[in-house]
Formats: sequence, structure tokens, C-alpha cells
Amino acid sequence: MANLTLPPKPKNSLYKKTKTIIILILVAALYVWTFLSIDIDWARAMERAANNFHRVIPRLFDPDWSAMGDVSDKMFETVLIAFAGSVMAAILSIPLAFLAAKNMMGIFSVIGKWILSAIRAFPDIILAVLFVVAVGPTAFAGVLAIAIGSCGMLGKMFSEIIEQIDMDIVQAMQANGANRIQILFTAVFPQIIPEFLSYAIYRFEVDIRASSILGIVGAGGIGTMISFASSNRNWNEMGMILLAIIIVVSVIDFASAKIRSKIV
Amino acid sequence: MIEFKDVNLVYPNGTQGLKNINVKINDGEFVVIVGLSGAGKSTFIRSINRLVTPTSGSLLVDNEDILKFRGKDLRKLRTKTGMIFQNYNLVKRSNVLKNVLAGRLGHTGTLRSIFNLYKKEDVSLAYESLKRVHIDEKIYNRADELSGGQQQRVSIARVLTQQPKYILADEPVASLDPPTSHQVMNYLRKINKEDKITTLVNLHFIDMAMEYADRIIGMRAGEVVFDGPVSEVTEKTFEEIYGRAIREDDLRGGAEQA
Repeated sequence: MANLTLPPKPKNSLYKKTKTIIILILVAALYVWTFLSIDIDWARAMERAANNFHRVIPRLFDPDWSAMGDVSDKMFETVLIAFAGSVMAAILSIPLAFLAAKNMMGIFSVIGKWILSAIRAFPDIILAVLFVVAVGPTAFAGVLAIAIGSCGMLGKMFSEIIEQIDMDIVQAMQANGANRIQILFTAVFPQIIPEFLSYAIYRFEVDIRASSILGIVGAGGIGTMISFASSNRNWNEMGMILLAIIIVVSVIDFASAKIRSKIV
Repeated sequence: MIEFKDVNLVYPNGTQGLKNINVKINDGEFVVIVGLSGAGKSTFIRSINRLVTPTSGSLLVDNEDILKFRGKDLRKLRTKTGMIFQNYNLVKRSNVLKNVLAGRLGHTGTLRSIFNLYKKEDVSLAYESLKRVHIDEKIYNRADELSGGQQQRVSIARVLTQQPKYILADEPVASLDPPTSHQVMNYLRKINKEDKITTLVNLHFIDMAMEYADRIIGMRAGEVVFDGPVSEVTEKTFEEIYGRAIREDDLRGGAEQA
């Protein structure tokens, strides 16, 4: 024990230490300032919570089983909206991803990156409002909102995957006399497809959650029921809806994790 | 026949990759190009299939100046010059057969290759090639399941399947251990003799160059500083090519184990 040679301590200069402290103080100050400026009436909030607690929470835990039929119908629709939307997004994002990948398009990839950033700038719920106006308050509006919303993120992910491929293999195919399309199919696709699938499935998982609330603005799925149940103060039905969402989301999360670990 | 006439190559950053190269490679030769890293061996070999493009002079392959080739001509040239790389460059997630069939891409229509509909003759040729380098039992294994030496043999099978007129091998044994290196060089040598494929190999190991080459080309700083049959080469020749005394790590060793 006596003669252990320990590695030298990292050099933590005074400058580094003061920097850390200053950053911590700034973050704390920002936090305090935010809370003070939103002006919460704590007394009133407590009172409301105390009054409503016994009227809402126990009823959430006592789901209205008679609504199960309607709820499962709508939940099924929600899953279908998410599925149709994610598949559409996965397909749409492939050309966008190639357009945004630097090793495929050179300096023109900037155009693709701009397009993808522009798409990502719209929150899903805003897209849903736009599509409800455009195609009417149906599930199709939800599908389109999910498709466009997801293809921004998937396109960016996919383009990053494309940028990470081994270009030496592309060169080997060039040296075989392969043309551009052959290179794409034999050297590029095998390197990217497993990662693409993995991200597409992950995005489907995220889209189930997103499509559960899109109905609030009339874009189909279980969100419509959430919106009705809350305006009618029907907390038993709300409990049933929440239960359905929790079960479906957990099952899909679990299944998606399993499938993804098999793919890559 | 490959003929370099006053070939120069200056990279965009100003480095002179090749300097006044005048070399003629005859059909059927087994040529080893030696030199230190950065001497221009890679640039020399990659000029022949135009993975790099010389900036002046003319480079004749079968009496055609390939420096002007673009598009279809270029792919035709590359179809008859097979290449072997230091890092094998196999598609790691695809199986061995698929990797070897990739050698037929230049001979295969785009639609057929997309849907994996290679001709029966091509599949049979691929299998024969795998047998020749004794790796046929791994035919349905994924490429990344194989060892380095096995992967390099698959890449030799890929080149064989291509049925090229020339084989260009860029440091094919630099990532391998001595016994495997000899195995790979033996296969290249055998293919050269049996199929009469002109073969150019970049190496930096002196003993391997001496053992396998018919002819040695020595390069230093982008210039050819030696060119002659292996019988004329002595240790002094290598000292001239390398510009310094020969060291232990210039030798691969392990010849008796192969």
C-alpha cells in the first residue's frame, strides 16, 4: 500500500475554477429571475389544487371501463396515424437526406440542410393546425402533420448517417468500373439501411406520442377524446384514455427497443 | 501494355505526386514498385485506373491515352484494371459472395445489379474465384466476420471475378502479419502466371519485393529512381532508392513459414 505511484493530478487552473463558479452563479440567477417574473400566486394555486384534488385525481384512477370500446378504437386510429405518418416521413426523408449529405452533393448539400432546418422549425401541432385547415378535420390531416414533422428530423439523422459511411468502399466500386447507380445500391445502401431502419422505428415511437395529442386541434386520433373529456370534466373517461395511451406507448417502446437492438 | 510518357502530377496543394515519369509495363509482367511512404507509389498505381488524374504528359493503356477518358470510357478502363487495397474495402455487412460478385459490376447492367440478378455464369465465376483462393467455405459469411487475411483473399477473388487485364495492388499486405502476407503475395503471383494478368504491386518490404517481383521500380519523391529486372537489384540499389541505410523494419521476414 505504501508505494503506490499515483498519476499526477490534472492541472485545474484558477482560471478554470473561477469560470465554473461564474457559470453556476449565472445559471442559478437565471432560474431565480424566471420564477420571480412569471408571478405565480402560490396561495391561490395551492387552494385550487386542494379543492380540485379530490374531484380529479381519484377519478383518474377509476377509469370508465364502459368507454373502453371507443377509447380502443381511437387509440388504434392514433397508432395508424403515427404509422402512416412515419412511413411517409421515412420515404420522403431519403431523397432529402442525400441532398443534405456533404459526401454526396458537395457544397450543394447546404441547400438540403436549409430545407431540412426549415421543416424542423415547425412544431407538429402547428403543422396539424395548418393541415386541418387544408384538408379538413380528419385523420389524414394528422398523417400529413406527422409525415412532414418527422421528415425534418429523420432527414437530418439520415444525412448524418450518409456522411459517416466508409468512402473507401465507394472508391473500390468505382475501381471495379461500377456506375453511379450501381455504387449507390452496392456500396452506399448496405452501409446505411440498418441505421436508417433503426431511426425510422425510433421516430415511430416518438410519433405515437405526438399523434395522441394532434386530435386536440382536430387532426384525428385519441386527442379528440382528450379534448372532449377535459371540457366535459369527465375525469373517469380521461382516466381510461390515459391508461390506453400508457399501455400502448409502453408496448411500442419495448417492441421498438427489441427490434432496434436486432437490426444494428 | 501500359506506357507512361512524361507524366507529371501536381496535387492542388502544390505537392508533386509524380515527376517526369517514363515507364513501359509489358503484358504479363509482375512489377513491384518500392519506395518509402510518400514516394508516389500509390499515386503511380492509381493513375493507371484514374483514381487520380495526372496533370500533364500522356498515359497509354493498350495504346489509348486514358488521361482524356470520362464517363463510359473511364468505366470501361476500370473494368479491365482490377484493384486490391490495403484495407480490403469490402462491404462489411454484405456476405462474401455478394462482395465477390461486385467484381462483375462493370460487366453487368444497372437493373440486374440493383436486383441482384447476376447471370449464372457470373455466379459460377465468383464461386470458382473463391475456390482458387481457398475461401469458398466462407461464401455466405458476412465480410466482417473474416480475419484480415481472409478478407484480403476475398478481395483477390473479387478482382479475379472481374476478369481484368491488369491487377493493381496498393500495399496489399501492409495490414497483415508475415505468414498471411506471403500467402497473399503467393496468390497474386500465381494468378499472374496462370491467367497472364499483368500485375503491379506497391510494397515497402524489400525482401518481399525481391522474392516475388520479375521487375522492380524504385520511386523517391515522385520520381522513378530505379527500373530493372530483379536480378540486377542488390541491397545497394535499395539504399539508393530509400536514400538511407536499410533497416530491420524494411523487411517483412517469415518467408519460410509460407
